[in-house]
Amino acid sequence: MPTYRLQTSGCGRIPRRSFLADLGMGFTGLALGAMLHRDGFAHDASTWLPPDGRPHLAPKAKSVIWLFMIGGVSHLESFDPKPMLNRYAGKSIAETPFRNVLDKKYLEENVRTAAPDLRKILSKIYPMQVGYSKRGESGIEVSDWWPHVGGCVDDLAVIRSMWTNDIDHGAQLQFHTGRNKLDGFFPTIGSWVHYGLGTLNENLPQFVVMGNPVADCCGGQESHRANYLGPQHDGVGLVADPTNPLAYGRPPQGVFREEQQAEFDLLERLNRLALAEYPDDPKALARIKSYELAFRMQRAIPEVFEFQQETAATQKLYGLDDEKAPPFAKHCLAARRLVERGVRFVQVYHGGNGNAGGWDAHGNLRGNHAANCAQVDKPIAALIHDLMQRGMLDETLVVWATEFGRSPGTEGLDGRDHHPFGFSVWMAGGGVKRGVVHGATDELGFQAVENRHYVTDIHATVLHQLGLDSRRLEIPGRKRLEMEHGQVIREILA
Amino acid sequence: MNRVLVLVVAGALLPRIAVAGDAVDFVAQIKPILSARCYACHSALRQQSGLRLDTAAMLIIGGDSGAAVEPGKSADSLVVQYITGEAGVRMPPEDEGAPLSDAQIAIIKKWIDEGARAPDEPTPPDPRDHWAYQPPVRADVPTVENAAWVRHPVDAFLAADHESRGLAPARAADKAVLLRRVYFDLVGLPPTRDELAAFLADESPDAYEKVVDRLLASPQYGERWARHWMDVWRYSDWSGYKEEIRDSARHIWRWRDWIVESLNADKGYDRMLEEMLAGDEIAPIDPNTLRATGFLVRNWHKFNRNTWLEGTIEHTAKAFLGVTMNCCRCHDHKYDPISQSEYFQFRAIFEPHDVRTDRVPGEADPLKDGLPRVCDMKPEAPTFLLERGNELRPDKSQSLPPGVPKAFGSELKIAPIELPIAAYYPAMQEFAIQEDLAKAALQITNAEAALTKAQADAEAAQKKHADLTSGVANGAEDGPARESAVKTLDAAVVAAELASKQLETARGAHASLTARIAAEKAKFGLSLGADVEKLASAAGKAQRQLTLLQAQEMQIVATQELSRANTALKTEDAVTRDAVTAAEKKVADAATALAAAHAALAVPTGEYQPLGVESPRTSTGRRLALARWITDRKNPLAARVAVNHIWLRHFGSPLVDNTFDFGLRSPQSRNQPLLDWLAIELMDHGWQMKHIHRLLVTSSAYRMKSATSDTLAGNIEIDRDNKFLWRMNPRRMEAEAVRDALFYTAGNLDLTRGGPDLACDLAPKTPRRSLYFRHAYEKQAKFLELFDGASVNECYRRSESVVPQQALALANNDTSRDQSRVVARKLSELASKDSEPDQAFVQLAFEQILGRKPSAAEVGECGTFLLSQAELLQKPDQLTTFAGGAKTSVEASSDPVQRAREDLTLVLFNHNDFVTIR
Repeated sequence: MPTYRLQTSGCGRIPRRSFLADLGMGFTGLALGAMLHRDGFAHDASTWLPPDGRPHLAPKAKSVIWLFMIGGVSHLESFDPKPMLNRYAGKSIAETPFRNVLDKKYLEENVRTAAPDLRKILSKIYPMQVGYSKRGESGIEVSDWWPHVGGCVDDLAVIRSMWTNDIDHGAQLQFHTGRNKLDGFFPTIGSWVHYGLGTLNENLPQFVVMGNPVADCCGGQESHRANYLGPQHDGVGLVADPTNPLAYGRPPQGVFREEQQAEFDLLERLNRLALAEYPDDPKALARIKSYELAFRMQRAIPEVFEFQQETAATQKLYGLDDEKAPPFAKHCLAARRLVERGVRFVQVYHGGNGNAGGWDAHGNLRGNHAANCAQVDKPIAALIHDLMQRGMLDETLVVWATEFGRSPGTEGLDGRDHHPFGFSVWMAGGGVKRGVVHGATDELGFQAVENRHYVTDIHATVLHQLGLDSRRLEIPGRKRLEMEHGQVIREILA
Repeated sequence: MNRVLVLVVAGALLPRIAVAGDAVDFVAQIKPILSARCYACHSALRQQSGLRLDTAAMLIIGGDSGAAVEPGKSADSLVVQYITGEAGVRMPPEDEGAPLSDAQIAIIKKWIDEGARAPDEPTPPDPRDHWAYQPPVRADVPTVENAAWVRHPVDAFLAADHESRGLAPARAADKAVLLRRVYFDLVGLPPTRDELAAFLADESPDAYEKVVDRLLASPQYGERWARHWMDVWRYSDWSGYKEEIRDSARHIWRWRDWIVESLNADKGYDRMLEEMLAGDEIAPIDPNTLRATGFLVRNWHKFNRNTWLEGTIEHTAKAFLGVTMNCCRCHDHKYDPISQSEYFQFRAIFEPHDVRTDRVPGEADPLKDGLPRVCDMKPEAPTFLLERGNELRPDKSQSLPPGVPKAFGSELKIAPIELPIAAYYPAMQEFAIQEDLAKAALQITNAEAALTKAQADAEAAQKKHADLTSGVANGAEDGPARESAVKTLDAAVVAAELASKQLETARGAHASLTARIAAEKAKFGLSLGADVEKLASAAGKAQRQLTLLQAQEMQIVATQELSRANTALKTEDAVTRDAVTAAEKKVADAATALAAAHAALAVPTGEYQPLGVESPRTSTGRRLALARWITDRKNPLAARVAVNHIWLRHFGSPLVDNTFDFGLRSPQSRNQPLLDWLAIELMDHGWQMKHIHRLLVTSSAYRMKSATSDTLAGNIEIDRDNKFLWRMNPRRMEAEAVRDALFYTAGNLDLTRGGPDLACDLAPKTPRRSLYFRHAYEKQAKFLELFDGASVNECYRRSESVVPQQALALANNDTSRDQSRVVARKLSELASKDSEPDQAFVQLAFEQILGRKPSAAEVGECGTFLLSQAELLQKPDQLTTFAGGAKTSVEASSDPVQRAREDLTLVLFNHNDFVTIR
């Protein structure tokens, strides 16, 4: 029978079992990777150190608000105007001077499915369904479906040269894990942040998720889970309902706070004793952590959703003076309040509908996108304004993203198909440049041709701004591909 | 940029630079034409006439008619003869669009004449050769070194895997751990303290097997496994807005009960499947079997028949075949060999069917109870391919016949089924007739009683009036009393008149029903020698007489109402004026109705209202054919998919990762010989699942420890994720098991089986098993949802999250508090007999709640807690309370010592070991 020993720098050798059983409440900041490592699961145990909660480099941002539009927002009707679509409307791509956009090299790079070449490229050009206006001092063009976000364009760094390689909605998962859905499930960007950084508020989860999530078809809850990092790094779902943000958020009547504190303390000690028997069970560790957090959350979370603490002006800013305000507006305000309280990563979904997603405009693109934009435009702009007026925008990185763009070609009569070859996202705050456009697609908005970025370049940029180096987060035995790490988009950094 | 690694994609880069000069480049110039116009029928996915055109080599090999290409001789090449139409048949066929252009034909000819040269290309594999599409073959049980570990073939297959990888199986789990594991696995409940003690004391060699047999025979087995299969079969109670049903159906709990009962009876999986898809065709008048068709009823969707059938198709294929047919609603499947038209042929199997609710004995009102089931309501309904899946664009040029994807072998054998009358005309069922007659008879009895009372009242009023009248005659004052008596008498007389007519109506109703029944029985040949026409006339007459009586009754009511309105009329009061007007209208309407009724009665007729709705007398047999095709031994998928589901729920990870997709996107099974061996084993044993359960849980593999504290370090190095099952996987219990165990441990679980779904907001206080609570879109018990309860839309595998909300649910739920107080009270009574009651309490609590004895360290911690907590609770006025919170049903003990024990009990309910199957 092998014996496991704990290697520590100054404390000699401590038998693992007693180490585990002796761990007290101070354990909270320690990541699962560290536990596995110290228990001898990790491979090159001599050199690797788990994250200690401190950034690897000087951080520019403390928190991330990640706004994800499910279904695929058309870049051609949001942030990437293409007048040539109007000029050549109705013609096939091959009939335009830009027929080289169908260069197989990019098509092959971009599509990775079990059966390539089977999804047809729609060739009949569909004109833009909305007008564009130059906005702000930067004069960046934004579509008229985004009047409010257009008003903040001087704070945005728009990236018009994204690509991904799943031509189907598995790209939703892929945008969060960096891996094609064919490869399976992997830790998501939020969970890496959670894993890599210490908490700023012991009373709240560090990784919060709001809004209807990605459906089972397309990665489901795995789009905000932690996979091999351990379930304690999963995103915690909250509902923006001030009366009941969190189910079972308080004990039944008559239970004393001190009484419950003592119960939780005993539970912790008993679970740790049992853990010594099952040292390798990540779920047992996660459960211990979940109770620690639960105890504190039951106090801290209801307060987050007490929107009446906000001024009438702030509520109006988000549109919350209107009773019919979409849930997304509440999620945006809650995101600011969560970040204000030290939550590291707030992932807000829009468009989750139990299926491919609300933005998936295969038909009636005009009606679909106009309605969806009307739900998110004002709250997103409000969030940026609000963060700025509180001086929080500098340390909060806002990311707006979607799984892919939509095809320049017409689908059916009035829709656009999935389009992984080129699409747009933007970032704001958190030390990125203000009012810039980076990268470009070709004249038809088909291929990302200039400064092409795969989805993990967004991850790398996010981590970089938080002061993390994804290579230094890697767990021995869990070698990540280059594509998972991505490249920091330095051109947009202030 | 380090993207080289990233960009390794399927489809190797091929040389695509044109050959110098004018020579035709096959890859650049010919292949795109073939790909666009021919591959749909002649490539790896589909090889019509045995012909594939996806490489130059295959063109030369050709198909059933021989070589398609004769290099150098375009005129002799079949492919040219076909694309030009010279062969007498033109390719692509007319319905596949325009012929190839002259330029396309010319370049193909040129390429052939130049020698049909092309670079070597690998032959794309035939998707039909995919492992899961080949029928399973019983593999030889491997011989392994670790023979001592092998109890039966399941172990041998696993051991072979271990040995080839240098893994050693973990040791056997402790008896207590194993007992709790097998209890939860088979019945979803923990062993009681007595059962634990008995098992620990039983040293007979088959002590464990005896437990397994007992559990498999227990009715709780059916409940536990019903919930698993309800996940796979997508059980959903009705959902909708207020009383409007939008999905599924009321009373679909009968299907859930059928699942429980069928599992307990160990009905074969094949038979279960057949009953679910075609219970109405197998046993058309057996209500018990008809319940099974809830599997199809569940897909009912108010707003869109296409959505409804899409759900049916998608989940029939996923649940039973492990195939994602839903992908080919809009286009041929991108990965698997299923075409869009095959999708619609599959749909044609279900096209005729519809949902109806049959009456059940004892309740005529379908809102209150009933049997939701399916039947073929529209046998002739056509199935059109929807272009791109768009329901606005059906291709009405042809109706597709029912069929199954050809790649999975054999065809449907469809035979229409003649239904008995009780099936197509359920109102003729004898129980319904008898209940309706009894109800009509009861109405007569009630009317008779009402009339007797009305007559007595009238007589009493008459007498009182007579007394008062004679009193006045004798000199008494003619005052308000007599006036009142006059009114009472008038009212009584009127009431008696109405009651008398109502009795007539009740008798008329009974007579009409009796006559209609007689006529219908004659019409459907159920009364031998009856004169059908005569009985029909009698029924027509009786029904019209009833109508007349009803009209007369209406007239009396209206006249009386008018009289009352006139009495109450105050000319200055608009309300009373309106009442008179309304009453006058009623009188007029009644007169019209009466006249119509008289007129109708004057004309003899054989027409009468039937007893209920009739559906077609023949069922198409399509669904039964599908069911038999799926359960045919030659079907490569059904048994594999089934055993994979069972395996997953015993071992915590499946043999095929994606339980609903065995297609080309799915990696090969980790241990296909084992999967196939089990599939054959299931079929060879009459598809009886208890046999498979017994096999799996009695294996050495199942009895292994989940802990790694004493395993070889090498195992972890080689297979950290336990893919090859060298130890047991610890599992977080499913939501239902957690909730059930809370109540059960306290001795409070109500083991009543079956019955209507319970409102989900009752779950915290109602100690029934969790599977009986409503489970539908937006109607799920919160506690169950938090512990990863099944998604209503689909749940082929539960997830096992660990989130703080679960901690809050288990700690803050009033159910946990209630049950912990109950348990503590019971255990305190037992412990009080001990000299060390606190220690005894801790001991008992561990056994009761966690199914094991506490370690010394645990006893120590708990002992310390009991003392300090009691001390803390001594001074409640110094403690702070939480605002709000739910109200418990069981009060906390006022004794601090006992309350400390209650708190300890709650802690154990929150212990990781409570929610974990080790």
